[in-house]
Amino acid sequence: MNVISLRFTIATILAVIGITAFIIGLQYDFGSSQRMGPGYFPLVLSGALTVLAVWEAFSVLFNPSSDEQPSLDWRPFAAILTAVLGFAFAISFFGLIPAFIVVIGLSSLSEHKYGLKPALILAFFVSLGAWLLFAKLLGITLSLFKFGF
Amino acid sequence: MFENILLGFSTAFTATNLLYCFLGVFLGTFIGVLPGLGSLAAISMLLPLTFYLEPTTALIMLGGIYYGGEYGGSIASILLNLPGTPSAAVTCLDGNPMAKQGRAGVALFITAIASFVGGSVGIIALMAFGPAIAKVGLSFGPSDYFALMLLGLVATVTVGGQVRKGLIMVILGLLLGTVGTDVTSGDFRYTFGFLELRDGVSLVGMAMGLFGIAEVINSIKGSNERKVTEKITARSMMPTKEDMKKIIAPMARGSSIGGFLGALPGAGTVIAAFLAYAMEVRVAKDKTRFGNGAIEGVAAPESANNAAAQTAFIPTLTIGIPGSATMSIMLGALMIHGITPGPLLITDHPTIFWGLIASFWIGNVFLLVLNIPLIGMWVRVLQFPYKYIYPVVIALICIGVFSMRTSVFDVCLVVIFGALGYLLQRAGYQAAPLILGFVLGPMLEENLRRAMLMARGDVFQLIADPLTGSILALSAMMLIWAFACGLKSLLNKRKIKILPEGEA
Repeated sequence: MNVISLRFTIATILAVIGITAFIIGLQYDFGSSQRMGPGYFPLVLSGALTVLAVWEAFSVLFNPSSDEQPSLDWRPFAAILTAVLGFAFAISFFGLIPAFIVVIGLSSLSEHKYGLKPALILAFFVSLGAWLLFAKLLGITLSLFKFGF
Repeated sequence: MFENILLGFSTAFTATNLLYCFLGVFLGTFIGVLPGLGSLAAISMLLPLTFYLEPTTALIMLGGIYYGGEYGGSIASILLNLPGTPSAAVTCLDGNPMAKQGRAGVALFITAIASFVGGSVGIIALMAFGPAIAKVGLSFGPSDYFALMLLGLVATVTVGGQVRKGLIMVILGLLLGTVGTDVTSGDFRYTFGFLELRDGVSLVGMAMGLFGIAEVINSIKGSNERKVTEKITARSMMPTKEDMKKIIAPMARGSSIGGFLGALPGAGTVIAAFLAYAMEVRVAKDKTRFGNGAIEGVAAPESANNAAAQTAFIPTLTIGIPGSATMSIMLGALMIHGITPGPLLITDHPTIFWGLIASFWIGNVFLLVLNIPLIGMWVRVLQFPYKYIYPVVIALICIGVFSMRTSVFDVCLVVIFGALGYLLQRAGYQAAPLILGFVLGPMLEENLRRAMLMARGDVFQLIADPLTGSILALSAMMLIWAFACGLKSLLNKRKIKILPEGEA
């Protein structure tokens, strides 16, 4: 992805966050400056955030003077985030051990040539470690295996 | 004073506290050594572990993790030329050339010694000035607190170099801090119907996402090409007599610069390390040695950043205003344990304050004693293929966050903040001001509300107060000055970075 467009996109996202927070903040009681309501601080902040983010976006548009070219590594980005999400999913439906296998398996997708064997070995050892630590050592109530809720 | 120090050491010298101090230093160093992960990542990853401990023990362990992480970061930066923490970046300048000349062992030894000296100077400053500053802090009203916190935030922004981006991050952090139940009215803000958000966004989930996940994603690419070939034995670490003579003055200069700067809000360890390095370059007769493995170039910044790391606890513990992202996580940890840092901490919880200070020193001793025999092991950690490490780190982050409240929601927060952190970082934003804003946000709002209530909503009455007014004016001046010469200071900073290499 192009640098300028990445910077521009981020600035736009920040501006959208600011505007959304402002609109939601309008529902809260603003109060007065003597007795500030719950809406006072959020409105001021989201307003300032929007202004600054828009300013940033414009300055990126009009000053594309950047010599560095940072790019996104999509593969690890997607793999790692899916792995964490997969953990959240697996631990709520299948228990701790499957969750560890899922998180290791999905993380290993972040490199092109990771290989199935190292991933399996790693998953095995981590699960073993988790079983020893949680079930044997700590006796924690997290269920190692389960199905459904 | 003296009995307080005794109290501190008697608190810290219990078997449990010593054990956790050791454990903290050990685990902190371990995580710090992993490329790309620094002390901030180490603290946020291990924070959930401390929840099961007594507050004092927990803090002692966190302190240990902090130094361990800092030192581990230096090991990675010297051997790989890949700084794990921004403050270690300066150590790279001369540390890595030293490693290339086969003097990696000496560089690591000097780092340990300089860290110890810097840390000790910082601790003495903390003991000497902490209680006095807390006494001053007792007379502060809400408006003074508000102004001081604002000053801290502004300082962080202006120091970062990119003022606008820093400001955006601080404000985003403050905004995230408003999520949850409003203290004064009890209304829910930005909870979107999620029960989990009523207590606010989880600090641990956020920090793990911003510093753990984002850093891991960043470090995966190219990890297979990194190799450490140096063999480091305990014998190769021994510096010559000449080396030892050379580093005394730089360590003294570094510690004083660091000790002073660390106590200021926002300045932090990075600036301390940079300034100490710049100072050595200026003082040196033969400037060409810098960037080519000058031993002073390792000793001065290392002692400066460790002294700063210690004195950074002064504002955090005595006034309750953290000066850096790491300190804000420490502050968050204190509050999770039910302790509100502030001027009353020293009088209300003397065992915590003095015990912590004593344990800082013990932690530093551990660091020194541990790392000389263990250096071979740390090097082996670095040599271990990274592909077997990062999936485990990710798994640990997941289970760490999940086990805190057995909450799947918090794990999802990690995903969101991981994505946000990585994208922001790539686009040139820094996550540190965000965390600082997030932790200070609720306090800032609370104090502003009280101050405005007392001033009957009149802003001018607020400004008219001599202390509040002058602090606010200082913040405003810093901000304006930073905007005006933001570009200039950025260029100057670059010059310092390049200068030593350019002269080579």
